[in-house]
Amino acid sequence: MNSKRFTLPVDEYLALEHVPFYIEDALSQLLEHKEEYTQFGIVRFFADYFNSVRNGNHILFREFSFVKATPHNRSSFLRAFWRCFRQIGKNGDLLTVMEYRSLLQLLCPDFPVELVQKAARIVLMDDAMDCLMSFPDFLYAFQIQFYYEEFFENIAVIYQDLLSGKSPNTVIVPTSFSAEQVTRPATSNTAAQEGVDSPLFCGCIEALCERYKYSHPPLSSIKEILCQVQRVSFYGFLMAIAKHEGINCDIGSLPSKADLLIDPEMDRELEKLIAQISVSPTSNSSSSTVGHKEPVRKASPRKSLHYRRRIDIESDGSNEETDSSEN
Amino acid sequence: MANTLQSAAGDSRSTKSDTDSEFLTQAGAGAVLRGALLKLLEVRSEDPIGFLADHFENLAQSLENGDSGSAVEGDKKQHQQTLQSSEEQNQHAGALWHLTQAHYSQRSAFNNNVAVAFSLLSRGGRKRKPGLKGRAYTELLRRVCRDGAVAEPVSAPLIRKLRCQDHEAVPFDLFRHAVLTCFVFADFVRKSRSLFETVSPSDGSLCRAVLGSLRDALETTGCSDPARYLEASAKLTPGRLAQAMDRAQTLASGTPSTLMGQEEFIEEASALFVSRVKRVS
Repeated sequence: MNSKRFTLPVDEYLALEHVPFYIEDALSQLLEHKEEYTQFGIVRFFADYFNSVRNGNHILFREFSFVKATPHNRSSFLRAFWRCFRQIGKNGDLLTVMEYRSLLQLLCPDFPVELVQKAARIVLMDDAMDCLMSFPDFLYAFQIQFYYEEFFENIAVIYQDLLSGKSPNTVIVPTSFSAEQVTRPATSNTAAQEGVDSPLFCGCIEALCERYKYSHPPLSSIKEILCQVQRVSFYGFLMAIAKHEGINCDIGSLPSKADLLIDPEMDRELEKLIAQISVSPTSNSSSSTVGHKEPVRKASPRKSLHYRRRIDIESDGSNEETDSSEN
Repeated sequence: MANTLQSAAGDSRSTKSDTDSEFLTQAGAGAVLRGALLKLLEVRSEDPIGFLADHFENLAQSLENGDSGSAVEGDKKQHQQTLQSSEEQNQHAGALWHLTQAHYSQRSAFNNNVAVAFSLLSRGGRKRKPGLKGRAYTELLRRVCRDGAVAEPVSAPLIRKLRCQDHEAVPFDLFRHAVLTCFVFADFVRKSRSLFETVSPSDGSLCRAVLGSLRDALETTGCSDPARYLEASAKLTPGRLAQAMDRAQTLASGTPSTLMGQEEFIEEASALFVSRVKRVS
């Protein structure tokens, strides 16, 4: 955020980081679980809520519509998924699409299968969709598919237009001469395999980004990818984005591939989280269960680890004074 | 902002709407949120969520401390003292937090924050009389400098000029002036550091030329005549600075170059700053 924020009108400033959205969600959460939270007071509730938003824990066990609502929520979810299931990468296990989806459902009970399938298509280059995938491969593809979902939908449309020879009406072409050169029709299936002309594709994407309100990868990275080849296929392009270190840093949820499986400090957190998942009623007993329909009593998603520890301390009957000074 | 609260209340007007909005009003959610948002909008923090988290955390802690305080009555003296010192630490931390919320260039927000910090520090404790004592004041100034990445030896001359006697009561004006000076000083040191990094790969004579120009400009602002400030800034234009550096380089071309260390540079630059600060009597 730059210093322009001082001159923005109130609504625009608050919308920058989706403050009204989080306030509304906080109030809904408060109303939904009022018996639990009024015990500790409303200010403590807000403090815990915004702390968990800041730390990225707020998305755990929440519904999908909430998880995908803001870029911060998406990146927090990606990070949580990585932290929870890093072990799979460590073991070198290969899993199917449905198995990854089950894992995602442990953290978000109504996570849609379509999104997972789209991610798998990137890894498998739209081929042999029942193939097994390694954790790092899946994770990086899933990251960009989830974080830039709307952007890729638009890109797919542009790509199809270019393939079928339609000249997109929003493309920025320097001179009319080159515009005529460009509208040669795509000939056959071989054209689809060969993809589209990279510079042209790049120009279309640039035009899209200028008027785009959703998140998109930095243009410089996109240009970097597209200038390396003359022609590019859709999934080739997506795969290159998934592997691009600069874009990964820009999203900011996951470390680089070399560090993906390394982090001994996480093991402690992981053990605590696994213990919590196995205690929580929303956990799946077997990873092959898909779309189970039994009604589950949703454990309050606001019971973060910190919260539980507090409750334990309070119930131990320790002095309130020492407790507050420790905090 | 009022729309947010209304729409949030409006969303819950489905089945148990009346009890919901009743509950929210009774709990005082509206007032709490309004206060927080007003503060946020005044400060325009770069990280609104973080700001709100800190704001509510501080508020919750002060409420919790207030509650636990009333239970202390009749306890042992030792217990009171540990509570008092932790209370003082909280006050210090709270005051420091308030001061860092707005940059001093945001005049009105910064002034508000200084006022809040001052009243926080002046609050009377169980055994303390209200008012800010010199000891706490000096300690706070040291913290501001330290948090602004200014090393102790560099900030020491400034603190010496600004400090009060431990038992003296510090008035608000002095507090504000001193805090502002420290923040500006921290920024000044930071800029000197980056200036050094730009100039230093060459030899020390250039560094000295730059410092000389800076001294020259600062000495021009002796009185409060606005024209003198323009004059001073004219001395620091890129053209003039380049001339000064060029002169220094031609002069020094015969002699072997002596490198200037970063500490030395920062020390001299900060000395220029500190010399302009009036000593507190």
